[in-house]
Amino acid sequence: MTSAVTIPRHGGTGERTAVAARARQVVKAYGSGETRVVALDQVDVDIARGRFTAIMGPSGSGKSTLMHCLAGLDTVSSGQIYLDETEITKLKDKKLTQLRRDRIGFIFQAFNLLPTLSALENITLPMDIAGRKPDKAWLAQVVETVGLASRLKHRPNQLSGGQQQRVAVARALAARPEIIFGDEPTGNLDSRAGAEVLGFLRRSVDELGQTIVMVTHDPVAASYADRVLYLADGRIVDEMLRPTADAVLDRMKDFDARGRTS
Amino acid sequence: MTVFKTSMRNFFAHKGRMALSAVAVLLSVAFVCGTLVFTDTMNTTFDKLFATTSPDVTVSPKGAEADDTPQNGRPESMPASAVERAGKAAGAKSAEGAVSSMNVTVVNSDNKNMGSSTGAPTIAGNWTKNDLRSMEITSGHAPRGPTEVMVDADTADKHHLKMGDELRTIAVTGDFKAKIVGIATFKITNPGAAVVYYDTATAQRELLGATGRFTHINVTAATGVTDAQLKQNVSKQLTAADGTFKIQTQKEYSDESREGIGEFMNVIKYAMLGFAGIAFLVGIFLIINTFSMLVAQRTREIGLMRAIGSSRKQVNRSVLIEALFLGVVGSILGVAAGVGIAVGLMKLMSMAGMNLSTDDLTVKATTPVIGLVLGVVVTVLAAYLPARRAGKVSPMAALRDAGTPADGKAGWIRGIIGLLLTGAGGAALYTAAGADKASDGASMLGIGVVLSLIGFVIIGPLLAGGVVRTLSAVLLRGFGPVGRLAERNALRNPRRTGATGAALMIGLALVACLSVVGSSMVASATEELDKSVGTDFIVQGNQRIVPQAQKAIEDTPGLEHVTSYKIVEAKLTSPDGKTEDTDVTAADPTYASDLRRETLSGDLAAAYGKNAMSVGSLYAEKHGVEVGDTMTVAFKGGQTAKLKVAAITNDDTALDKGSRYLNITTLKSYVPADKMPPNDMMFATAKDGQEKTAYASLKKSLDAYPQYQVRDQTDYKQQLKDQIGQLLNMVYGLLALAIVVAVLGVVNTLALSVVERTREIGLMRAIGLSRRQLRRMIRLESVVIALFGALLGLGLGMGWGATAQKLLALEGLKVLDIPWPTIIGVFIGSAFVGLFAALVPAFRAGRMNVLNAIATD
Repeated sequence: MTSAVTIPRHGGTGERTAVAARARQVVKAYGSGETRVVALDQVDVDIARGRFTAIMGPSGSGKSTLMHCLAGLDTVSSGQIYLDETEITKLKDKKLTQLRRDRIGFIFQAFNLLPTLSALENITLPMDIAGRKPDKAWLAQVVETVGLASRLKHRPNQLSGGQQQRVAVARALAARPEIIFGDEPTGNLDSRAGAEVLGFLRRSVDELGQTIVMVTHDPVAASYADRVLYLADGRIVDEMLRPTADAVLDRMKDFDARGRTS
Repeated sequence: MTVFKTSMRNFFAHKGRMALSAVAVLLSVAFVCGTLVFTDTMNTTFDKLFATTSPDVTVSPKGAEADDTPQNGRPESMPASAVERAGKAAGAKSAEGAVSSMNVTVVNSDNKNMGSSTGAPTIAGNWTKNDLRSMEITSGHAPRGPTEVMVDADTADKHHLKMGDELRTIAVTGDFKAKIVGIATFKITNPGAAVVYYDTATAQRELLGATGRFTHINVTAATGVTDAQLKQNVSKQLTAADGTFKIQTQKEYSDESREGIGEFMNVIKYAMLGFAGIAFLVGIFLIINTFSMLVAQRTREIGLMRAIGSSRKQVNRSVLIEALFLGVVGSILGVAAGVGIAVGLMKLMSMAGMNLSTDDLTVKATTPVIGLVLGVVVTVLAAYLPARRAGKVSPMAALRDAGTPADGKAGWIRGIIGLLLTGAGGAALYTAAGADKASDGASMLGIGVVLSLIGFVIIGPLLAGGVVRTLSAVLLRGFGPVGRLAERNALRNPRRTGATGAALMIGLALVACLSVVGSSMVASATEELDKSVGTDFIVQGNQRIVPQAQKAIEDTPGLEHVTSYKIVEAKLTSPDGKTEDTDVTAADPTYASDLRRETLSGDLAAAYGKNAMSVGSLYAEKHGVEVGDTMTVAFKGGQTAKLKVAAITNDDTALDKGSRYLNITTLKSYVPADKMPPNDMMFATAKDGQEKTAYASLKKSLDAYPQYQVRDQTDYKQQLKDQIGQLLNMVYGLLALAIVVAVLGVVNTLALSVVERTREIGLMRAIGLSRRQLRRMIRLESVVIALFGALLGLGLGMGWGATAQKLLALEGLKVLDIPWPTIIGVFIGSAFVGLFAALVPAFRAGRMNVLNAIATD
């Protein structure tokens, strides 16, 4: 179970491939010689388009590193990562920045918004930076979906944590990126606010056809996904389709037990 | 102890962030110490010079001045018999007569002035044994006849003089030529005087116009006789028959010689310390900002310290101890750098033609003490406010989400205090502008300047909002979202932007103020010259115009008339019985048309009549003098005259303000020819249509006398402008230090902001802001802050300058001229300063690793 390449590269959608992003034999190592630490160990993974993928694993399993590499935030030691047909592991910083700007959306655990900009300005920031005009109708729809219409003029410090994360979700959606990466987007929220944000993410996949990859350690959050990948020691060790919170939790306990006995 | 330990750790943990503050302290301390070392060294040089050149006891004729420049151009002298008698005094080993004059110009065969270009005198005299104490003949021999001269080696080097070259000495008694037969080298540092020696008879004849007379007697003490004893013995020996004498010990004589230079050095010292003070003031802003930002960034840490039981006092103290470290480190380095600055200044002076040696480098024990105390005290005081704020951090801060430090808001109390101070400052300035007397207005101006400056510093953060928004609306519009981000960043902490801008404001306000005053000076003088000067050419120099040069001027073809102009010392007694030691102006009657003066009563032409004079309106008012009154005038070196006041001139002018005119013919009937002062200046007017050729002829006539310059009105104005321009440039140069510190402040603020916003920058990079956009954002923020400071500073400075002009209008500064090119240049320059300041912070922000940035806590 070292490979998660289970979905065919070409699906029935026609023009675009059914795989939004893929990693091939990706190795990420820090240091060298005796102090060498391998964070990702020859990982192969395909991220299905139009699906909600969760990446789980214990601390230090490499789940965040995998996401950072897939998102073009971090470099790999070897192997290739493709976003659609673009090999991003070959790109220089300038192109990579453009790629993140134009084709990827981000939701971080905390500190997602610029304190100097209003909610609306934060939402349109990636497009502003790119010098593109946002699609008004789409923007309205996104804002409507995340329920922020009355809060657009507010600065982040005037919004609750849940509202801030919803703004972050709106920002990620507004530019219509090919793929959105979330790094424990609900990690700092209480369960109700977290459920709200996860609900939006789910809806954006179902209703808008958005591709989302989310790193989490919360079984409940993972249960919103279509598919859960389990990482341990830099390898993909398992996956689960159509997960439920209980099933995820059981599987995690299972890993924990195995981890202790081995 | 633990407080000390945490402070220490914090200091070293953040040493990078402290670096610029340390540099600011360093620069200011270095400037103070550099000034002290430089002026002390100069004083040492002069002390050594005068101590070595002064004999044990010096006898001079009573009334002789230390600088040997009496108004008639001939040094006071005494007969040879006095020398003999002095030599017979008990305890005197020997006595020799010396001749020395500083009222000479020495030129080479190309008519080039051999004198110093730095204002040091040319000294001509006889070669005496006393000179051997400070000099030795390094080639040739001492002068032995009427055609032989010896010159000092520095002058010979500077002007490439060699043995056999001919030198011409121009004295009031005439010109004479001699060939160089010897070169003598100073054994100590001679800062710049050009020295030439002749044999005694030649020196007496050519410099004094007499034989057997001396200007000084150098008496050497026998072993075991103190200077004071010798002085007493000499004074017993000398009799009234030889005249009256001034007898001085070595110490008294060298102290007297040094006095003028000491005063001059003090002026330089305090002026430079003043500029160092401004740099310190600017540095304070930098330090306050640094500590405010460090405290803000450490809020959580401080909260934790408080939560686990640190008292407010301990937190407060820990910040102050860090400031103490900073002050000590910066000051120690500053003291060392100060010595370097002093050496640099000496090198600079050498390039300007002054001779200084690092052998004399004087670092008094007080210098490092002053530097250290000043640096440490200023740093700790500046850190006091941030330290207090640190003490106020609540233990709850440890628990709160770190996020970015809370953005400081400018409070309304600040606004009111700032407005009150600015208002008071404005009122003081307004009062100063309307003052009736310049002296009353001056203190008002001072108060106004200080209050408005403090007021502006305090309301700076409040103004930041409006000014930055306006600037951004105009300048950043073209930069789209990056411009908007830059604007928001500049606005997010108005207190910080305000303090950073204020630092720049101080230096630029002074630049603007001085440029307004300077250009108003030029404009006013030009207007006054245009209005009142009727003459075509003005002849001036740093030696009074010797008769042979006067004759050359008078003999120049193409001139309609030539006017002599002398200032004569005199005791003036007005009809109300009050006596004043002052001077009068003796001129040819043509002067009335050369410089047109407004007369309030009487007729100026009549003042040039026999036994008549004019007085200025200020004097007339003070002493109730009216036309027809009789003044008693005791001319120096001459008789006392009773002169009738024939005119009262209006003193509301800048040229010849307060002058009292009389005819040279009148002067001649009271002052004997050998006591007659040479002309101070001369004026010439060309025959109609011959201005050009006359100007050329005049210049040619004065070829042989390079110490005098002839200028027509255009050149005269240009010279005036150049002089003021030079002075301004010097002051700008000194202000540059304060501006450099202010620029460091901008760099510091940006650098610390970048650190503070690490996560934001990471986020922006993650969602697609390119490095170039990021760098541009930081540069634009910097430009906006710099322009904010510039706008405030220039506005404030122009206000000060305009007030100063209104005030000085009483002193003849009648025209307000705002030098827009300079002002606009400074404004645009500030934008570049902003760009420059952002170079390193922007580069570092661009290099930040996106992932680390996101992960930063």
